Amino acid sequence: MAVAASLANSTAAGAAAAERKPARFALARRTILTPVLLSLLLLAIALITVTTGSRPFNQTVIDVFVRVILVVGLYIFIGNSGVLSFGHIGFTCLGAYAAAWLTINPMMKRGSLPGLPEWLLATRLPYWQSAVLAALFAALAALIFGRVLMRLSGIAASIATFAMLAMINTIYSNWESVTGATSSVVGIPIVRVIWPYLIGAVVAIFIAWAHAISRSGLALRAARDEPTAAAASGVDIPRERLVAFVVSGAVMGLGGALMAHSIGVVTPDTFYLGLTFITLSMLVVGGMGSLSGGVVGVVLLSALIQALRWLEAGVSLGESTFALPKGVQEIALGVIMIVILALRPSGLMGNRELALPRSSRNK
Amino acid sequence: MSHLSAENVSVSFAGLKALSSVDLQITPGRISGLIGPNGAGKTTLVNVLTGFQAPTEGTIKLDGAALTGLKPHQVRRRGIARTFQGGRLFRDLPVLDNLEVTGVGLGMSRRAAIAEAEAMLDWIGIGALGTRIAGTLPYTDERRVAIGRALMGRPAYILLDEPAAGMSALEARELSALIRHIAADLGCGVLLIEHNVGLVLGLCEHIVVLDSGAIIEEGPPAAIRDSEKVRHAYMGTAANTDLPVLEAME
Repeated sequence: MAVAASLANSTAAGAAAAERKPARFALARRTILTPVLLSLLLLAIALITVTTGSRPFNQTVIDVFVRVILVVGLYIFIGNSGVLSFGHIGFTCLGAYAAAWLTINPMMKRGSLPGLPEWLLATRLPYWQSAVLAALFAALAALIFGRVLMRLSGIAASIATFAMLAMINTIYSNWESVTGATSSVVGIPIVRVIWPYLIGAVVAIFIAWAHAISRSGLALRAARDEPTAAAASGVDIPRERLVAFVVSGAVMGLGGALMAHSIGVVTPDTFYLGLTFITLSMLVVGGMGSLSGGVVGVVLLSALIQALRWLEAGVSLGESTFALPKGVQEIALGVIMIVILALRPSGLMGNRELALPRSSRNK
Repeated sequence: MSHLSAENVSVSFAGLKALSSVDLQITPGRISGLIGPNGAGKTTLVNVLTGFQAPTEGTIKLDGAALTGLKPHQVRRRGIARTFQGGRLFRDLPVLDNLEVTGVGLGMSRRAAIAEAEAMLDWIGIGALGTRIAGTLPYTDERRVAIGRALMGRPAYILLDEPAAGMSALEARELSALIRHIAADLGCGVLLIEHNVGLVLGLCEHIVVLDSGAIIEEGPPAAIRDSEKVRHAYMGTAANTDLPVLEAME
């Protein structure tokens, strides 16, 4: 084994390390292409949408951008830690209701949500401010839950996250004076322009990228691959998981707030099993090992869902109308997911990131 | 004098004693050996020393201060590193990142960790492997990367768990040169746990022999080589096998 003679004393290796220190932001410069390309992909979709001027298409693309935020939020925790979370949509619920509390007309709030504290009843903020505060609120909740949950591993952690989702859903479904219980909370200002949602998705993508190239992101991916060796390398695994849990909670909260502003009404069941299933499916199909996988999964599955809805509604072919039977959408979606996962178990993107041909690996 | 020690350490699993009143001391710059037949308790002792296994009785001390009860990452941050049987590399990450993980785990910035990882790979003689995905490496290179990963941050002690397993005689000789450099040049206290007895006899100044969880002999290589107890309990079984090599490797 050739031990380099010039480095054969204890100080030489340290001196060599100091000389080799890469340029500041070298890692960021090397990897930034991925979030830039993903953002350009979304920008292109937004520009096409605006150009067509179709209102239903506009709403569909807004839904896609909201899902990008949610799936990227899931990726930050699940993709980096390898712990499957069934509870993150709980943070979306917290974000959506926080946005409702902060933006509904005070007169309406006094009538429908009288249990809110006086300062909150009197508050009415612009949607973008409410979105930021909703993200912080969800992050705080993630910090509180995460301090307990992140001590768990494997299936125990996954089940505990599901228990967290069930708890949030139960509280929001029963605390009538604050959440309206199972009734719809209406009066949330609806934002119909596409740009805030695009900005939200791009912000989520860049947050996920920044976390992935951070010390915490690297340590967490190592712990995902070999937890024992990571601990022996000095990695405090519960702490690194907690960092990712809080960051992803904030992104899920942001997504919840924007989702609330995209539909104008929230109920607890909007943020429960259905949304959990579809967002996890998008992440798994795209490939949970990469940021690009999450975004690609959303775009492709959303396009597929939209095409199936369109076929279910009926397509005119000359004199006759062709329509798929109701329910085919869910069945076809399930079949396609099974086929994709059977052919590519690690998802469409695997662990690869969207990049120019020479640098396909991120981080 | 600075040292890492196990004092009167016992470990029981459901009533079965894996270690029984074991004392061991490792000092910086010195290579110690830990040998014994399969199931002797060698890896259990390494797990106890590095925080992966709590002792049922006894204490682990670093420079006189108790380490017992610390988690593995806290033990590592106090300068006690280890490798694993089978490497346990982060297989999806490049080799450089494998070393960098220890750097960031010890609190370095990524920039500083990258710089030290590159220097360490060169020091070990595998600088060309930095961009290779760890899971694609041949077995021998895996072992070298695992040692490099453990050496990040200049630990005061390194516990090498069967680093020569599966290596050819030539590769084992190269490994023994590296281990000497680790002790002599980095001032690291080395505990070598190895089935290749020849490697241990040739490298170590002090050797501890475990059998069924208890120390049956300890001393310099010559004393171990000549010990009837060791021959009977451990090497005696090798007379009919091709396992431990009795001649010291130089």
